[in-house]
Amino acid sequence: MECLFNTFSQMVTGTVKVLNENGIHLRLAGELVKAASRFESRITIASDEQQVDAKSILGVAGLGAEFGVELLIQATGNDENEALAFLKQLFENKFAIKDD
Amino acid sequence: MGNEYSTEEFYKETYEEFDFDILTTGLTSKVPITVPDIHRPAFALTGFMENYLYQRIQIIGETELLYLRSLSPKQQKEAIQRLFTKPLPCIIITKGLEVPNDLISLAEEHAVPVIRTPLSTTPFIHSLTGHLETVFAPRATTHGSLVDVYGVGLLFMGKSGIGKSEIALDLVERGHRLVADDVVEITRHGDVLIGRGQEHLRHFMEIRGLGIINVMDVFGIRAGRIQKRIEVVVQLEVWDPKRDWDRLGLDEHYMEILGVNVRQLIIPVYPGKNITVISEAIALNHMLKVYGIDAAKRLDKQLVDMMESDKKTRRYLKYDTE
Repeated sequence: MECLFNTFSQMVTGTVKVLNENGIHLRLAGELVKAASRFESRITIASDEQQVDAKSILGVAGLGAEFGVELLIQATGNDENEALAFLKQLFENKFAIKDD
Repeated sequence: MGNEYSTEEFYKETYEEFDFDILTTGLTSKVPITVPDIHRPAFALTGFMENYLYQRIQIIGETELLYLRSLSPKQQKEAIQRLFTKPLPCIIITKGLEVPNDLISLAEEHAVPVIRTPLSTTPFIHSLTGHLETVFAPRATTHGSLVDVYGVGLLFMGKSGIGKSEIALDLVERGHRLVADDVVEITRHGDVLIGRGQEHLRHFMEIRGLGIINVMDVFGIRAGRIQKRIEVVVQLEVWDPKRDWDRLGLDEHYMEILGVNVRQLIIPVYPGKNITVISEAIALNHMLKVYGIDAAKRLDKQLVDMMESDKKTRRYLKYDTE
């Protein structure tokens, strides 16, 4: 799907995989947004179908990312590398909270 | 949806409306549907292969079948074979007509699905084109809030945390209607942009400090609507005293969305500023402009006229030394 904020001139990108069995439900979306909001950079996260702002809870929840789905993270800004590394780790650690 | 639409997907979405039945064993095609247009392959059947628009859905109606029936069995098979010299997404038979066996067997051989509708050709083509145009309409998703304010679709955009949702909530509280918060799906129909929320997120909002609410539950049925034409983009930016803010409104700014220019206003935000009232004024002013009334231009004209008439008076009095 075409997207309006797909036009960063400089950015870092990385893919992550959803390792939480119940997928990105609302609580995890909240955790992800909280993590992304710690950074100044503009961060987007995309599934095959759509790209959303990583700082928007409804956006991230709306991805409906299920277990095993791969997502593309793009960040642009002063702290883009730190942001990407942090978010990648968050996914790898299964958001460091017990899946309920 | 991108610009690939498989025949299976097409069938699944339309078989109820068009009462389709499948004449081939499967619906799998080698090529997807890629364009919203249709084609009637009468000329291809007769052997005139120039401009054979094989990428399109092929519609076979009474004329094509009458022609086929007028041929000898050998000629008929040759005519049908011409259709399959190119990869086709699918063939649709109208009016529930019976088709030659060769058409089905050759379609099977070339993996082209054949489906049939009981509808007459012309009304069927009208409905089908309508459906395909919606499917292939240019679309995009954006981050923002879309609110119907006095019947004008205002799309609030800006960095996360700038207060788009809070403004939308405030507007809903004042009687306006929320279309989508946070994620807005936009489709283009001609020169009109239609925005709507994602189906499973519809009318949910996230308000910082409060959490998730559903405006329809809180404010009732009047608080939401499903889709709305986007007429003005209200870009919210953090107030910066050094920046050149538009103070006049004489020049119009536009933002391009899916190739359509939408009026854009950049509104500075700072604590204590009432964006809601400004938003209502934006909507009303936009309606006035639609009706041809432009306050900034009128003031400008009044000033010019006044100076012009002053000049005349001054010229008259200049050498008047009575």
